[in-house]
Amino acid sequence: MVKLEARNIVKYFQHDDYKLKALGGVNLKIQEGDFVCIVGPSGCGKSTFLRIAAGLEKPEEGDILFDDRPVTNTGPERIMVFQEGALFPWLKVIDNVEFGLKIAGIPSDERSQISQRYLDMMQLTRFANSYTYQLSTGMKQRVAIARALVLDPDVLLMDEPFAALDVQTRELLLVELQIVWQKTKKTIVFVTHNVAEAVVLGTKVVVFTNRPAVVKKEVSIDFPRPRLVEDQKLVPQQQEILAELKPEVKKRMESE
Amino acid sequence: MSKHLTAKKIIFYVAILAVWQAVADANFWPNEIFPSPWEVMQDLGYGAADGSLFYGIGTSMLRLIVGLAIAIAGGITLGIFMARMETVNQTIGSLVLGLQSIPSIAWVPLALIWFGVSDAGIIFVTAIGAIFAVTINTYTGVKNIDPHYIEAAQNMGAKGSQLITLVLMPAAFPYLISGFKQGWAFAWRGVIGAEILFSFLGLGFLLNVGRQTIDVSQVIAVMVVIMGIGILVDGLVFKRLENKVMSRWGLR
Repeated sequence: MVKLEARNIVKYFQHDDYKLKALGGVNLKIQEGDFVCIVGPSGCGKSTFLRIAAGLEKPEEGDILFDDRPVTNTGPERIMVFQEGALFPWLKVIDNVEFGLKIAGIPSDERSQISQRYLDMMQLTRFANSYTYQLSTGMKQRVAIARALVLDPDVLLMDEPFAALDVQTRELLLVELQIVWQKTKKTIVFVTHNVAEAVVLGTKVVVFTNRPAVVKKEVSIDFPRPRLVEDQKLVPQQQEILAELKPEVKKRMESE
Repeated sequence: MSKHLTAKKIIFYVAILAVWQAVADANFWPNEIFPSPWEVMQDLGYGAADGSLFYGIGTSMLRLIVGLAIAIAGGITLGIFMARMETVNQTIGSLVLGLQSIPSIAWVPLALIWFGVSDAGIIFVTAIGAIFAVTINTYTGVKNIDPHYIEAAQNMGAKGSQLITLVLMPAAFPYLISGFKQGWAFAWRGVIGAEILFSFLGLGFLLNVGRQTIDVSQVIAVMVVIMGIGILVDGLVFKRLENKVMSRWGLR
C-alpha cells in the first residue's frame, strides 16, 4: 500500500530579488513500512521535500498524497525529526518526550506510561529528568526520536538527524534506528548526504539530481539487519549510488 | 560577593554618610533645609513607629503590583500578536514605539480627567508607563525564537493558545524577564510620580506632605525608602528569576 506519494512537486526558493527552482517535479511513491533514504548534492532541496511532506511548506506545483489524500497541513501523523533535534530547552527530557501527548490531551498517567516505553527503547531512562543542555548531541537525537515515536506517527520524516554526530555515536544510532524501525514498523523517510548511512538504513535509496531536483534513480537494498557500516556486501550498492550521485555533485560545484 | 568587594562597599557608604554629616555640621544651610543623616534616620523611625511609612509603602506597592500585572498581561498579549501577525506589527507596532517614548508622568493629566483622584487613575498611569516596555521585549523575544521550535510544536499538533502558552511564552522567557524587569522599573517610577501629582496616599504622597510642611528629613527619608525598595526588588525578585532561567536554558 502506498503511504506517501509525491506527484510532480515543484518548489522555488525565494531569495530577496530572485527565485531559485529547487524541486523540478519530484515523483516518488513510498510504500507503507518502507525505509526510504534520500541522497543528493547539498542544497538540492531534499530537506525541502521532507518539509513539504511534513506540511511545513507548500509546493508551487504538484501534491503530496498521504493515504491518497493531498497534504494541506502539518500534523502528528507525519512527524519530523529535525537535524538539530529542535528539543525544547525549557523542558526536561521526559517533558520533551511527552509534549505531543500533552497537546493531544492525553492524561498524565497515561502519558508517563507511553513515554516510559520509548525512553526505555531509546535508552534514556537515566536522563528522564535532565535538561537538554546537559545532554550530548547523540543523546539529544535519541530524545528527538523518542519524542516523535510516542505519537505513534504513520510516517517519520528525518532530516539529516545524525549529521552532527561523531563517528562512534552515529554507528551506534544507525543500529538502534534499524532496531526501532523493525520493532515499530514505521514508514521512514530519511534525508542524508551520506551514502554509506543511506545504504545501511534504507530498504530503498532514492537519488536526487542537482537542482532543480528530480528523482534520478531508486535503488532497492535487500540485506538482513542490523546492517553495519563496515559490511562488505553493501559496497556494490554503495558504489552504484555513488556513481549516480557524483555527476550531480560535480554539476553542483560547477554551478557555484 | 567577595569579602574584598563587601569591604569596599561598606567603606564607600560610610564615607558618604561621614561627608554628609560633616556638611550638615558645618551649618552652611539651616538644619531644616539640609538635615543630617541622623535626623533622617530619626524621621524614618517616627514614620515606622506611627505606621504611616508602612501604610505608604503598602499603598504604593499595591498600586504597583496591580498596575504591573495589567502591564504584563497586556504587554505579553500585544507583543505576541505583533510578533506573529505582520499586519498587527505594521500598524499597532509603530504606534507602540511612539507611545513608549511618552514619559508615564505625561499621562497624569489624562488620568486625572478620566479617573479623578483615585487608585484607578494612579494604576492607569503605572500600567501604561510599563506596558510598552513589556510589549517590545515580548515582541523581540518571540521574534527570536528558533523557528524549528515552533515548527516542531505545530508538527506535533500545537496551535492557538497551546502554542502560545506551551511554546512561544516559555521559549521567549529570557526576553519576557527583561520585559518584566524594565516594566517594573517604569512602573515604580510611574507610581511614585503619579502619587506626587495626584497627592493621594502612598510614598509619593508622603514626599508631597514633606514638601508642603517643609520637612526635608521626611522627604529624604521617603526617598531612601524608595531607593531601598528598588534595590530589594531588583536583587530579590529579578536577579533570582534571571539566574534560574539562565541556568535552566543552559545559557551559563
